Amino acid sequence: MSSLSALLLTLLVLICLVGGTAGLKSYLSIIINFLLIFFVALLISWGANIWFTIVCFVPLKLLTIIYLGTHDTKIADRAFISSLIVTGLIAIVILGLDYSAQAIGVGDQTGEDLIGMSTAPGLNYGAIGILVALFSTLGAISEAAVAMSTGLIELKKQNKELSQAAYWQSAQNIGQDILGTAINTILFGFFGSCLALFIWFTRLHYTLSQIANDKLFVQEALIIVDSIIGVLLIVPLATWVVNRGSKKN
Amino acid sequence: MHKKTLSLVIIALLGLIATITVYFRTDYAETLAVITQIKTSAPVSEKDQYDNRDQQLTQTGTLKLLNTKKSGQTFAFTNNYDRSQLVNQHFYKHQRVFVQVTDQKATIDNAKRDWVLVLAGTILFLLIVQVLNQKSYLVILSLLFNMIIFGMTIRLDIWRNGTNPILIYSLAAIIFAVGSFLIFQGWHLKMAVMLLSTISALLLAFTLSYGIMALTKEKGITYMAVAYATQSPRSLFLGQTLLGVLGAVMDESTDIVTSLNELLEQQPTVSAQQLWQSGLAIGREIMGPLINVLFLIFMADALPMTILYLRDNNAINYTFTYTLSLGVIQSLISAIGIVLTVPIATLTSLILRRKQVQL
Repeated sequence: MSSLSALLLTLLVLICLVGGTAGLKSYLSIIINFLLIFFVALLISWGANIWFTIVCFVPLKLLTIIYLGTHDTKIADRAFISSLIVTGLIAIVILGLDYSAQAIGVGDQTGEDLIGMSTAPGLNYGAIGILVALFSTLGAISEAAVAMSTGLIELKKQNKELSQAAYWQSAQNIGQDILGTAINTILFGFFGSCLALFIWFTRLHYTLSQIANDKLFVQEALIIVDSIIGVLLIVPLATWVVNRGSKKN
Repeated sequence: MHKKTLSLVIIALLGLIATITVYFRTDYAETLAVITQIKTSAPVSEKDQYDNRDQQLTQTGTLKLLNTKKSGQTFAFTNNYDRSQLVNQHFYKHQRVFVQVTDQKATIDNAKRDWVLVLAGTILFLLIVQVLNQKSYLVILSLLFNMIIFGMTIRLDIWRNGTNPILIYSLAAIIFAVGSFLIFQGWHLKMAVMLLSTISALLLAFTLSYGIMALTKEKGITYMAVAYATQSPRSLFLGQTLLGVLGAVMDESTDIVTSLNELLEQQPTVSAQQLWQSGLAIGREIMGPLINVLFLIFMADALPMTILYLRDNNAINYTFTYTLSLGVIQSLISAIGIVLTVPIATLTSLILRRKQVQL
């Protein structure tokens, strides 16, 4: 048995022991998520329009993450709407920053890995960069949206006569608690993802300005900033969406 | 309220000034130039051995040097790029670039991008202050603290040349956790419980995963595929995995311990059994989304190469092995850590209960 299947099996057992059916659903959501990512890679390699792929698969991924991970449909609905709006806003930020940075394609550090590969594959790597940035931020955005909506709906449930001012104040407190830890999750996720790259920079004695202008570093740094901006935006957006939703009822 | 508006305006102004200053900065060790004229030729179709059709474009123009002794002189340059912009790129008029000059000709090395980072940092800073108000300094403090420790960990790793990765990164993880909890929670029993939960969960998850990897003789783990490896790829992989999951485990421990502590304060007589059930219920809700956060970060990173492998007619199996498999294994180990944190954070919260009972 390969290590990968052994780990896959261990996770299945553990997640079912700890989470029961809910755990099984989470497991399923991870598998579906993986298949979706692989499918996106396949579609693009077959020549599918990348912008169209983004427009189709970003909401689809949000749907699978939020609805398979959350068991209260009311929470899931609100979380989905707020994360969809924030993803739209973040897309604008990503487009603006990526256009300014002109950090397209792979870095010089990839050199050796490209031997024997096509360097003119006929794919729009600018658009692929946008897709990568959007996908990286999706998980953090939807996690924060679910946490925020759960807290807010609970708040509304426990105190039906809550004034608007008090609601927004409490929402801000909930948001502050969520943000402190969510930002850590993102930051360490990227530390784990870019460790080798940073060791590369340090070993080869890159100067600070060389690092700050390096294509790959700028790509990664912008994705971290995009993700944190995404979870920050979730706080006011989810507050607004939950407030609007409960008014209708 | 007015104070906040004032600080936002000040941050925006300072950020804007910093961005402009960095944009116009010329004192680099490398030669900096600005493109004064540029013309792009009509595209020429090209086709490679994998039947990929692309277009090659040639840009010719002049650029003016902005630093070194030749500052102010104009040079001609040529830039070839493919429509894909995978390894080369398009430039535009007025863009600032780093160049290498010989007698007559200049070659563009790299685009100047540092000012975009300052701009992005300004937007981030503004939003942090807008959304977090008085608590924003905590987040900024913890971001700075973590980046400094990260830098020190890298130096330590290089100094030991990739030996003892488990020791180095476990030590780093403990320092990261202690620092972050101190910044966000302060020093009290609740914080100690979070710390205990984080460290035990990491320890257990890694012992278990490591055991499984050893039992299966690390079969199918292609360490060769670790990107940008400048040392033993296996040590890099272990370090990456330990650091990657740390934030999520801290996040989860904080959530569970805080909620259970709240519960204990509201009903001090709650039984251990009830506490256990509540802990699992809270954990169940957050573990799925958390696993997905890390999973997406690890996977998205490998996407450009995966697409390229597939585009060049590599088999799905081969592509997976060389591009995605390490990210998947990293995600699985992280997921095991995230799942194990649920019972461990709940168990460690029982310490809080004993305190309450004694009172």
